[in-house]
Amino acid sequence: MVVSREEANKQFFLDRYRMLGHRLTGDEKTPQVIRVNTVKTSDAELLKTLTGLGVKLAKVPYLDHGYVAEESQYAAQTLAPSAGDTVLDMCAAPGGKTTQIAAIMGNRGLLYAVDADMGRIYALENNLERCGVDNCLVYHGDATSLDLGTRFSKVLLDAPCSGNYVTDPSWFRNRSIMDVQRNAETQRKLLIAAMRRLEPGGTLLYATCSLEPEENELNMEWLLRNHHVTLVEISGPGERGLTEVFGQKLGEELSKCHRFWPDTNHTQGFFLAKVVKT
Amino acid sequence: MRLLRRFLEQVGSMMDPEALKIDSKRFTLSPELGRRRFSRENLVYAGTYLGRNRRLFEPSSLLLQMLAAEEGTRKVHLDRDAAWLFVCGRDIFEENVKRVEGVLELGRYYLVMFDGRCVGYGRYETSAGIRVIRNLFDLGDFLRREGSG
Repeated sequence: MVVSREEANKQFFLDRYRMLGHRLTGDEKTPQVIRVNTVKTSDAELLKTLTGLGVKLAKVPYLDHGYVAEESQYAAQTLAPSAGDTVLDMCAAPGGKTTQIAAIMGNRGLLYAVDADMGRIYALENNLERCGVDNCLVYHGDATSLDLGTRFSKVLLDAPCSGNYVTDPSWFRNRSIMDVQRNAETQRKLLIAAMRRLEPGGTLLYATCSLEPEENELNMEWLLRNHHVTLVEISGPGERGLTEVFGQKLGEELSKCHRFWPDTNHTQGFFLAKVVKT
Repeated sequence: MRLLRRFLEQVGSMMDPEALKIDSKRFTLSPELGRRRFSRENLVYAGTYLGRNRRLFEPSSLLLQMLAAEEGTRKVHLDRDAAWLFVCGRDIFEENVKRVEGVLELGRYYLVMFDGRCVGYGRYETSAGIRVIRNLFDLGDFLRREGSG
């Protein structure tokens, strides 16, 4: 029997997820989501307008302003920035989380957004304008080397990653374990840059939409071994981080990380880890 | 600043913002942001985006909202149907203007209002003998611009 590369890849990754305790089918889907832009309106006001137009929305219980479910909103919410913070969003474009951070900060304080891709910065700029954000500075450049001349109390590293098959129908066709390893290396470079930019006592929120442990718990284990940081427990819906990966035991503290799985949480794959620089 | 000032005059604004230049784009900083020191190297966007210089000044939606809140700026108010056509990129016939703040004068710019908020702006002109508010920018542009960009 001839098996296509896509089928072989799919089986390879589904077998890995099974070893991590999840029986995924590779066909899971998630609903679309909206976030109320509190810079411009309130939940009540928007719901009134949309209800008047015949649109029915269900509140996502664990999101402050999310309706019908996007776990990626959980990243900025977990970072919990305030108006007194100087925040860095390291891989910011197209700006979904940047605009959410600005809203949580009440459009005050100082928010730096960096991205290396000018095409994607165009989308970021449009989103900042559309959402009425005015506390943000956007820099074009490589987040690993760009000199911003300041340190930050909060950093969001929503790292470039392998993604996951729930949001990308061609994922099994286009991804291999080599991509996962390459991305994990890039993520470590970004983590080093994040630590350099963070002031002592500052908080880093690391997020990926990858299901692969190499880009998630294994990177966090590496960070704990090589930098002065402590992991902070993330509570709420979703699941704890893995402490055993393909037969390899990891530190128990990695359970403080957080995961969303397509089968048990009915969302796309998502990983979060919150660390404080000591 | 010259093109920005000319635009502000055209809509009857008294605003005189201190604008930060980044290439052709113009920004203004909140007092809080203005007090902070930050690097200008590789900076592509800062604070509140006012618009950009092309042949004429192209205002941002943020500037239009600020101007809409300013008393004395020229405005035309539309009903729901006309506003819907406008945000789909259409011009507005004079007879579909529900109310005017200021006086309609050919060649002037007008903020286009629906339900208390600015949905774009246009120029009052004659097209094939018909008087219209020519659509120069509407909020539907956010849905169109990245697709064509």
